[in-house]
Amino acid sequence: MLQSEREKMMTMQEHQTAFVQRASFSREGSTVFLGHLDLMTCFERAARRAELPILYSQGYNPRPMMVFALPLGVGIETRCDYLDVSLNCPYDADRFTEELNEFLPEGLRILKSKAIPEPKDSIMSIVTTAAYRFEAKGIREAMGKAMQQDELIVTKIAKGKEKQTDIRPLLISLSQASDGDPDSVEFYAFAGSERNVRPDLILSSLSKYCGMDPATAENARVIRLGLFSGEYPRITPIDEVEVRPFQPQK
Amino acid sequence: MKQYPVPLSKSDLMSVESPARYVGGEFNAVIKEDMLEELEKTGKTSYVRFAFCFPDIYEIGMSNLALQILYHVLNESDFVACERAFSPWLDMDKILREKNIPLYSQETKTPLCDFDILGFTLGYEMCYTNVLQMLDLGRIPLLAKDRGEDDPVICCGGPCAYNIEPMADFFDIAMMGEGEEMILELSEKIREYKLSKSTSHPMTRDELLRNCDAIEGIYVPSLYKVSYHYDGVQNDVKDPSGETREALDKRLGADVRPISEGIKTTIKKRIIKDLDTCTYPTTPVVSNMRVVHDRCYLEVFRGCIRGCRFCQAGFIYRPVREKSVEVLCEQGRQLEKNTGYDEMGLLSLATSDYTRFPELAENLLTTFEGHHTSLSLPSLRLDSFSLDLMEKVQSTRKSGLTFAPEAGTQRLRDVINKNIKEEDIFSALRLAFLGGWSTVKLYFMLGLPTETDEDVLGIADLAKRIEKLYFDIGRETGQKMRRLDITVSTSLFIPKPFTPFQWEAQNSKEELIRKQRLLKDNLRSRNIRYAWHDFDSSVWEVVLARGDRRLGPVLLEGYKAGHFFDAWDDHFRLNEWVEILEKHGMKIEDYAREYSEEETLPWDHISVGVSKKFLLSERHKAYEETTTPSCRENCSGCGAASFGVGECFAKRTAGAEETAGADSASETSPAGSDGASRKEGDA
Repeated sequence: MLQSEREKMMTMQEHQTAFVQRASFSREGSTVFLGHLDLMTCFERAARRAELPILYSQGYNPRPMMVFALPLGVGIETRCDYLDVSLNCPYDADRFTEELNEFLPEGLRILKSKAIPEPKDSIMSIVTTAAYRFEAKGIREAMGKAMQQDELIVTKIAKGKEKQTDIRPLLISLSQASDGDPDSVEFYAFAGSERNVRPDLILSSLSKYCGMDPATAENARVIRLGLFSGEYPRITPIDEVEVRPFQPQK
Repeated sequence: MKQYPVPLSKSDLMSVESPARYVGGEFNAVIKEDMLEELEKTGKTSYVRFAFCFPDIYEIGMSNLALQILYHVLNESDFVACERAFSPWLDMDKILREKNIPLYSQETKTPLCDFDILGFTLGYEMCYTNVLQMLDLGRIPLLAKDRGEDDPVICCGGPCAYNIEPMADFFDIAMMGEGEEMILELSEKIREYKLSKSTSHPMTRDELLRNCDAIEGIYVPSLYKVSYHYDGVQNDVKDPSGETREALDKRLGADVRPISEGIKTTIKKRIIKDLDTCTYPTTPVVSNMRVVHDRCYLEVFRGCIRGCRFCQAGFIYRPVREKSVEVLCEQGRQLEKNTGYDEMGLLSLATSDYTRFPELAENLLTTFEGHHTSLSLPSLRLDSFSLDLMEKVQSTRKSGLTFAPEAGTQRLRDVINKNIKEEDIFSALRLAFLGGWSTVKLYFMLGLPTETDEDVLGIADLAKRIEKLYFDIGRETGQKMRRLDITVSTSLFIPKPFTPFQWEAQNSKEELIRKQRLLKDNLRSRNIRYAWHDFDSSVWEVVLARGDRRLGPVLLEGYKAGHFFDAWDDHFRLNEWVEILEKHGMKIEDYAREYSEEETLPWDHISVGVSKKFLLSERHKAYEETTTPSCRENCSGCGAASFGVGECFAKRTAGAEETAGADSASETSPAGSDGASRKEGDA
């Protein structure tokens, strides 16, 4: 086949019917130090090992169709993040969870999954809010102070350029740790494609403005507790959001 | 599986490039829980704790097949627990030193000094200093002679182990050849040593090493002494420079002999006779982070039928032994399933030379149908079949075509015995260009023996004629052609032990620079790019490749002065190494010179199965510009048939039977080593 014909063929794309599993997962241990791209690769390989009927994207470089709700930065644990996995046939959610778990590396775990209709809105687009937990000595005082500031200007490096940005408006509400640990806090912050704050920037603002020792801040344990849709306080966990089904154009 | 925390703070881990290198927790990694229970309860274990060490960064080590094979072999046994360790990059090296944290294993984060044995795989000479880095960070005395009863045994294997003399001061044991069987035999000795410690007659380290000498293929450097002298060359050495005897002594001939009776005088490499029944890792450790070669590997065969005279791999891996298609297909199927990789590499020295290659390729492609798994086919000889195959396997992206003519003229290709003909290159390229390919990579070597400027210019000429062919095809077919991209890449010839060119001189740096410039000036075209290899590392590589034990102190001093990661061009400082070398009374020329055919070479006590006599006859044939046929066409009697297996051996046995009746003279030389010596006599 000539190259020109091949190119033509490859660009003819039809809509593939997808059977989507919306799954929540946790990560801890050594996998915490993976970058987001590596994390995605881990899930892809696990799904391939589990021989799940994954749907692949079309085009020049077909990729397994897996969409993560929100990137998970290096060093952040999660108790409950989400991903959508497209399959080419209907699949039992519990079986999906069980089979994938058997093949994930230590530290990554599917918590539960459910079959949803192929969504009109990408899972990424519905995330608005994240809950986090920080664990470090003196974190309660420091975060308390941070909430009382009018602004928290931090330096963000985006596309190789340094940029000053105020992250105070992105912090929503602070509370004591649910387990009562005095050296832990839990809080909500904006998250998602529109407004987002990275936990490491919050920690650096704590050492900059709130009297926290920089080394303690850097070593704080960061755990994402959940991801939500909607406007605080009326927020819904991502897997409880009602899915608007995708209607293919005739 | 229990997870073991990294002995580093989060901020330390977060401060280095790619922290995932240092945390372990990979899929298919092995942790022997019963050993850990034992350790927890009694503080001891009867398991032999083996640390497989790769003297370069994680991403490179995890792409190494030797690591995967031996890790698997060791952990499959019921008395060894093998873990992995890698060279920490400079940022992590600094943290470990500053915070006084010993280098630890990936699996259980155990300091290297707490293992019973460390096994390094040495794939390239420039990693030697990283061995010292790992020992140092692992809290193990660098010099073998300084190690005591409680220190781990330090061993090595891999292609560089065949001339381990420059590193002889640092290794207790070197393994020659394929390790699958040998490494278990060695581990068994370590186990006896370990168990004897709790008896009334504990074995000493010296006894252990002598016991290990009894294992075929194992070389214990400390049981040998070296004399640097004229033995055997005395009368032939001319002394044009008028140097003193003492000065010459330092330069010529390193003769390595046992220190006492009962130690083997020649160490013969080991091979695996039947690859089909040999353990192969179909559950390799899958890195969580992306590594250099992010794919699984299916090893197709060992050895090479070709015999290119510069190529060390072509000689040290003889004889050629193939796996059967049936075994390969089954292993391929399992590998894909057990790893989840979307790419599988077929590995060998020349994949197209696999006798049932079409069948294998078709079969694997059928297995992978609909899985979005691609086949990666390095070292493929281009013909209509392989082009067709590449169409199929690379259906998504059309990568470049690669040719390795190695030399620019047919004369020089005959000298090096590179059996690739220009007609073949051009007929393959014609097909490829018609099929839409427009990227071509050409690999050559500069500084080959007998090379003249005409040969160098031949490289430019070949590239230009390929360029012309492309546009001629465009005109013939009237097709709109894409932009042509030809890359000419040159590396520098390095004479390596156990090749017919092991005696050859390396061109001086000045001469190489001149040749490179000559080529560059003649390669001016918008369609042709010229990429060249760094000179400095090649200059040092020859020293390490053909060196002797006098380099031990040089390497030690270099390492202590902060030189490691020499394999990384950015970190390699030739000038400083030369300074240290000269301080020790030597110079580059001592190792880059032409070695005399009469002198004792530092590696003469090692046998790879290919006789020195054969190598010498090949060298002479090179000068006569005569080629040697492949092992498949005709056995040339290199000596490797003495292993009693391999394609050539089978052919010889069959051949001897056929000719037995017709030629009564051959009855006196049955198949085997006698036949080999007869043929050598002819050559």
